[in-house]
Amino acid sequence: MKPSLVVTLALTTALSTSLTAARPVSYTGGWTLIAESDRQSTGTLAHYTPSPKWSLGVRGEINRDHNYAIYSLHPTVLAKRWLGSNYQGNFYLHGGVGQASGVNGNPLGSQFAAFGGVMADWETRSLFVGYRSRYTDVGHFGDQFMQAVRAGFAPYEGDSGDLHTWLMLEVDHRPSDPDSVTATPLVRLFKGPLLLELGYNLTVNQPLMNFTYRF
Amino acid sequence: MKFIQVAYLIAASLVASPIAASEEEHSHDGHHDATTEHAQMSHEHHDAAGHEHDVHDHSSHDSPAQDPGDDVHDSHDAASAVTLTHTSEIDAALALGGEPVVADVMGVVCDFCALAMNKIFSKRDEVAAVYVDLDTKALSLVFAPGTSLSDDTIAELAVQAGYRIAAIRRGDAALGSAI
Repeated sequence: MKPSLVVTLALTTALSTSLTAARPVSYTGGWTLIAESDRQSTGTLAHYTPSPKWSLGVRGEINRDHNYAIYSLHPTVLAKRWLGSNYQGNFYLHGGVGQASGVNGNPLGSQFAAFGGVMADWETRSLFVGYRSRYTDVGHFGDQFMQAVRAGFAPYEGDSGDLHTWLMLEVDHRPSDPDSVTATPLVRLFKGPLLLELGYNLTVNQPLMNFTYRF
Repeated sequence: MKFIQVAYLIAASLVASPIAASEEEHSHDGHHDATTEHAQMSHEHHDAAGHEHDVHDHSSHDSPAQDPGDDVHDSHDAASAVTLTHTSEIDAALALGGEPVVADVMGVVCDFCALAMNKIFSKRDEVAAVYVDLDTKALSLVFAPGTSLSDDTIAELAVQAGYRIAAIRRGDAALGSAI
């Protein structure tokens, strides 16, 4: 087993996990490490891209609201990509199968878990809009659906290797939650293989942090 | 029942028919045609600096106005074509006598896009220097002396990165001295 794979698997299982990534399918032969935390979940995803059409990852995530963790295999398929001279659009299908178990004192036993959804985005060098959804079936832990839209702009256009800055607003909808619709303004910082997002959910007063490293 | 729905969605995602990662909308069909023509070109023009428009015997190159919405055809126009981006690595490779190539790339709008192109192309021994200019959406390559990559190979490598080449210029045309 390649050392990079061992490191990836170790990182993924040592940490916990959550939702979606910028560019969930990379270039052929590319690895991506992602750590995410939003108002409900915290987790990590490591994925490998064998072709520009799909990636396969291992994901771990903890749902802090409902006190369960899911460890899963996570394939993502780039179903459609639109390329223009000044824009790019993508439509992805993603899913996962794994095991859920109680954490933080939750006495419920292990349970088969599965999830699936879609992601779509369209961006230029200065505008971004995106959508993602996910339905999660975790049996006795309670099934969940979520969807989110995001829009943003870059106050300046950086070139290759520069620090790229985006200002974004994400609105998410989780019908089963007391606060079903929330809003999170965030800053996305991009430089080379690194992406960092920092935001704050104004509705439920929870931070958002996403980190991506691509190699 | 819910699980079945989720399982169906996952299965559908896994068996989704292969797609061209760099598929493009209909309005850019003209770009595709242009790329194909480049890919089909012989490499006679590698050493025929400045003869790109002579080699391409198709009217749209000489008359971009026939397809005013096609910005890739615009990029073929010698007067407006994007030329090699000069970095220290590019200039060093040029000084060693490497062949310069500039390719117009569709969809490179962020640093992850540039990273993907850099990673894929820099793996090739033939590539001595590579740079993706997000401002011009151009891939600049300089090959190691005595080596080269065909247009087909460059186009395929771009697909491996998740993108698509719209046009390729070589030699003096890439340097901007072929007008």
